[in-house]
Amino acid sequence: MNEHRSVSIIMIEDDEGHARLIEKNIRRAGILNDIKHFTDGTSALDYLFKHADGPALNGPALVLLDLNLPDMSGTDILTKIKAEDSPVKRTPVVVLTTTDDKIEIQRCYDLGCNVYITKPVNYESFAQAIRQLGLFLSVIQVPDAIVD
Amino acid sequence: MSGVLAQRIKSPEGHARRFLVVCMVIGFAGLALIGIAAALLTARTSEHTQWVNHSYQVEVSIGRLQALIEQAETTRRGYVLTGHTSYADNARATAARIGPAIEAVAALTADNSRQTARIAGLREQLAAIAAEQDKTIALTRAGRRDEAVASFAAETGFRRMRAVRGLLAAMLADERSLLAARDAAQQSGLQTFWIVLVASGVLIVAVAAVSLAAITRYTRDLTTARDRLQLLNTDLEGAVAERTADLSRANEEIQRFAYIVSHDLRSPLVNVMGFTSELDAARQSLADLVDAAEQTSPEIVTDEARLAAREDLPEAIGFIRTSTQKMDRLINAILKLSREGRRVMTPEKLPLDEIAAGVRDSLSHLASDRGAEIIVDSPLPELISDRLAIEQILSNLVENAVKYLSPDRPGRIVISGQRTRDRVMVEVSDNGRGIAAADHSRIFDLFRRSGTQDQPGEGIGLAHVRALAYRLGGTIDVTSTFGEGSIFRLSLPFSLPDAGTTA
Repeated sequence: MNEHRSVSIIMIEDDEGHARLIEKNIRRAGILNDIKHFTDGTSALDYLFKHADGPALNGPALVLLDLNLPDMSGTDILTKIKAEDSPVKRTPVVVLTTTDDKIEIQRCYDLGCNVYITKPVNYESFAQAIRQLGLFLSVIQVPDAIVD
Repeated sequence: MSGVLAQRIKSPEGHARRFLVVCMVIGFAGLALIGIAAALLTARTSEHTQWVNHSYQVEVSIGRLQALIEQAETTRRGYVLTGHTSYADNARATAARIGPAIEAVAALTADNSRQTARIAGLREQLAAIAAEQDKTIALTRAGRRDEAVASFAAETGFRRMRAVRGLLAAMLADERSLLAARDAAQQSGLQTFWIVLVASGVLIVAVAAVSLAAITRYTRDLTTARDRLQLLNTDLEGAVAERTADLSRANEEIQRFAYIVSHDLRSPLVNVMGFTSELDAARQSLADLVDAAEQTSPEIVTDEARLAAREDLPEAIGFIRTSTQKMDRLINAILKLSREGRRVMTPEKLPLDEIAAGVRDSLSHLASDRGAEIIVDSPLPELISDRLAIEQILSNLVENAVKYLSPDRPGRIVISGQRTRDRVMVEVSDNGRGIAAADHSRIFDLFRRSGTQDQPGEGIGLAHVRALAYRLGGTIDVTSTFGEGSIFRLSLPFSLPDAGTTA
């Protein structure tokens, strides 16, 4: 990732443990970008759309999204991000969740999710998947937010 | 509860029955009374008829006697007047018949003392008359007719004849009065009979009316009960339909529950496994540190630290790992089953031969590795069912057979089947190690396995097979002798109905 285009990673994950494991493994892959962690949908949406440092108002970002959240479904957040009039509709969204239901996966892609990853329960696979995601993040090009 | 109800239903029924029995008894008693009265009356009438006949006989015999007496007297007078001997013969013949005639009357009236007394008087008078007659006839015959006429005039014959007539009249009158008395008795008997008849008739009619009313009421009660029963029956069908809907709703609920639970269980498990790995990595660094310390300054390394780093921690982490891995497999099994349960079944025409051959081919590698052969006993029937489900069932059964071979002999697994009316039976038989009888139903339960645990597996396959068989409207069972082999029998409907098979 380019230094001057510091892409922040927004992680929306209700499970503190998962968040910690994800962060650790992303770091192990050599990704040093800023990681913002939110455990519920409301504050995440607030940050995404309204916060001064959020992607809507300031710079590019990448969203790691869990589908099982306490206050709303991850697909609701996905819908809001990818809505036609959303300022962050081009922000890549990586759905990272335990659900491997085919219908759910289809739905997420239909809503505009960019990558769908099922969290492997086996930790070696999990760590490896996250590290590969990190490698992927290091080469991905992220568009700027639409600022009008 | 039901006992009380039964008693409440039974009690009025018992009353009605007892009442009907009483009515019947009264009715039959009335009939019997009529019968007895009729029999008595008939006996009495025939007796009466006999007596009437008797009276007429007596009258007739008295009349005959009187005629004979009169005739005898007339012919005697004729002889005395004319002297013709034919009169004399006639008179004698007639007189000879009087005796038997009297005897006849005496015999008929022997039971009546008054008549007997009169007959005695009659005999006396007649004897006198007869003597008189003989005398005049004898005189006439001797030619002394004047003498005879004189004696005739002087004799008391006329008076005697009058006495005889009086006696006979009295006898007749007596008989008539007897007849009248008997008639009267007969009349009164008849009257009694009529009274009994009418009374009994009234009784029978009353009993019949009451019984009829009771029966009608009883029948009406029965009809009402039957109608209510029918209504309940109809309700029952509705209730069954409702219950079935409830059940399938409950089943859906369970499937959803299993899905959610297994999902939510996975999340914490990721943490447990993840941090266990982190812990292991940390332990490794600590162990390295202990190793290094032991070399540079062994005095600071305590036994506890060494033991913890080299034995206790690896052991604990190892147990956590195997347990979480097992839990993960179990959760995945539940997830898989619930996912299968939610799949929509799509019935299509399936050639079982083709499917069985496909299963055989996909497992032939594994089978030949283990020295077993899989035989499809063609031709197998066709059926209309869900392809994937049938494939999974057969594949699970054959795979089990390949897994649990007997070490004593080369494996031989046969897939056979036939159609019986509207069902299709499919059998997977093997000569493997068999299943102990105690485990025959247990093996179909989730996470339950049988025999030596020397093969990988979670005890899901047969649970899955049974769930699929049920979803296809079928059943599965096993017959097996431990150490000799097993036969799994799958019974499926020939045609799986489409519509509404989502669970």
